Amino acid sequence: MAANDSQGPPLRVGEVRFAYGKTRAVDGVSFEVAAGEIFGLLGPNGAGKTTTISMISGLLTPESGQVLIFGREASGASGAARARMGVVPQEVALYDELSAAENLRFWGQLYGLRGAALQDAVRKALGLVGLIDRQNEKVGKLSGGLKRRLNLAVGLVHGPALLLLDEPTVGIDPQARLHILEVVRAQAKAGCAVLYTSHYLEEAEQICDRLAIVDHGRVLASGTVAELRRLVGEGPVVQLRGEVDDDRLKALAGRCPGVGLLSSSDGTASFSARDAAACSGLVRELFQAGLKIEDLRIQEPNLQSLFLKLTGRELRD
Amino acid sequence: MRAILILTLKDLRRRLADPAGLLLNLAIPLVMAGVMYLAFGGHDKDKDAAPVLRILVLDLDQGPVARAITGSSSNPEAARRLDMKVVQDREEGLRRLREEEFAALLVLPQGFSKALLEGRQVELELLKNPAQSVMPIVAQQITEVLSLYLSIGSRVVGGDGERIRLLFEGEGWADAAGIAALVTSLSDRVINLRRLLLPPLIEVEKTSAGKEAGGFNLIAWLFPGMVMMGLLFTSVSQMGDLLRESQNGTLRRQLTAPLGAGQVVMAKVLSVALLGAIAFCLLVAAGRFGFGVHWGDPAPLAAAGALVVLAATGFAALLFSLVRTERQGDALGGILTMLMSLLGGTFFPIEALPGWLQDLSKLTLSRWGHGALRILANGEGWRAVSGHLAVLAGIALVSTTLGVAFLRRRHLRGAL
Repeated sequence: MAANDSQGPPLRVGEVRFAYGKTRAVDGVSFEVAAGEIFGLLGPNGAGKTTTISMISGLLTPESGQVLIFGREASGASGAARARMGVVPQEVALYDELSAAENLRFWGQLYGLRGAALQDAVRKALGLVGLIDRQNEKVGKLSGGLKRRLNLAVGLVHGPALLLLDEPTVGIDPQARLHILEVVRAQAKAGCAVLYTSHYLEEAEQICDRLAIVDHGRVLASGTVAELRRLVGEGPVVQLRGEVDDDRLKALAGRCPGVGLLSSSDGTASFSARDAAACSGLVRELFQAGLKIEDLRIQEPNLQSLFLKLTGRELRD
Repeated sequence: MRAILILTLKDLRRRLADPAGLLLNLAIPLVMAGVMYLAFGGHDKDKDAAPVLRILVLDLDQGPVARAITGSSSNPEAARRLDMKVVQDREEGLRRLREEEFAALLVLPQGFSKALLEGRQVELELLKNPAQSVMPIVAQQITEVLSLYLSIGSRVVGGDGERIRLLFEGEGWADAAGIAALVTSLSDRVINLRRLLLPPLIEVEKTSAGKEAGGFNLIAWLFPGMVMMGLLFTSVSQMGDLLRESQNGTLRRQLTAPLGAGQVVMAKVLSVALLGAIAFCLLVAAGRFGFGVHWGDPAPLAAAGALVVLAATGFAALLFSLVRTERQGDALGGILTMLMSLLGGTFFPIEALPGWLQDLSKLTLSRWGHGALRILANGEGWRAVSGHLAVLAGIALVSTTLGVAFLRRRHLRGAL
């Protein structure tokens, strides 16, 4: 790892913007990732996470703003910045016709590894993701979970100081997901700066030191998980489903001290309550109002409720 | 340069790990060549061999001329073309005609020899097999020719026919002076006839087709076109890998490594060219050992091979710089390959096309590619093929340069 020999932080993104034609995908996103830190970009599909990663990895050039990797421009022609970066794309970008070890050797060679150093790096990467025993199997014959692990290993084979992970656990079983999260934590612990995008709230809460919630190409909020939770309040969140209308719910929330309506649409609604007493008052009012409620849940404040508060919709929309 | 080599070797490893696609591209033109080779009689070592005429003869005459006809198949040369069987009666003849696939039944009537030698008119009866199409007509024509010859013979013999018939039946041999006079008379008539018939004003010269005779060699003409088709199919199919890599994300992932877009594109073009070279060698070997094509001097063949491979690679690069999806590329590549093959004269001589199409064919890669290979397969060398090689070099240079430039630009714009 080479996290401390730089002229700047592993990653600094400043006010970057990018549009696909008339569709603005990223609109002034800024954040910084320190060595040994796991920074999460959390947002629904289409929020601009992958476009942001593409600009960081040099695949896209920002229309404005700057991406600096250890103080160097990401899209610099020398490729020096990219040499210190490992990228794990959302899709499983591997060669099915080659074995796991052959894939790793190829990607390691592209980053300048050769000879004994290459062999060591391949062995180490296989060991990290638990694929030593399957190293000679063609990738096309591996399960989806094992391919995901190998996809991660390819991003790690050259020992990057900055790791970009774009939804690395999409579509895999819980066991494989757990394994990948462990590997990512271990990398961060070893000093690697990690940028992690996901639309899985629990996963992001579990693994990230700091987070930025993005939607429609903008950062809506950022900070540690604890800081973000505080934005939505210390009290519980009440979610309900039934035959409800916005006006009645707004009136109802106005009658309950310490209660705010977070969102209301398509027969579902969410309220934030200041404390347990406010929550009890809200529930009492809901039933007294004679609303037809099919489902009612009371939850501790979490990123989901924060996202609801910030965007008015569920993160998995 | 090292990165280009690594990327190229990766593609070669992938293809060799799963060579089915590459071999399928070669199988299409080889199968076509094989079918056409067989269809045009390439399988038959004796290309002059005609089908044997099977004919039944019912000899109701038993005279000398009839015996001469029925005995004609004992001649070794005639036996190669004629399978003649004598039947005892009409019923047997009709039955065997139906059951044993004979072309016709020739009936030599009673008194046939006597009438002929006496210069009287006589009729032959020919019953053709209605179940066959060509061979009964052949039998009819042979019978007509036979009738003509017999009529001429009868006229030449003139009034000596009866005398000759008796001699054939063993009578009159004691009159040695009479026989000598008869022979002398017949000899004079034949010599007089020679003045009219010989030398013939028209002669048909028959030569054997093939390289030994310097004539047309079908497979040497046909196979180079198949090589070009196989090469174009291979190049288009392999260049499609660029879009396959784009779809599965490996192309974008390569660009997150410290590489340039130009290196990635160059490596792909190089790997397609190398796979094309492998395909060319396999096709040339198949032509030599499977179809007996003689490719001539290896040096101009190697030069022609290198240039057709580069030109086909350039064509494929240009094609895939213009299409959006692999499916589009495959479809358009297949259509253009077939179109170039048709216009370029892969399946028939260019001279058979209208003038304007002949001019248009000069714009096709196939024409120059298989043109060069045909020249070499015809036993000619550098001097004869140099014009084609120059055109191929130009096509290769222009198409590869444009293809790489367009692909690189698409890649940089994120369109790959």
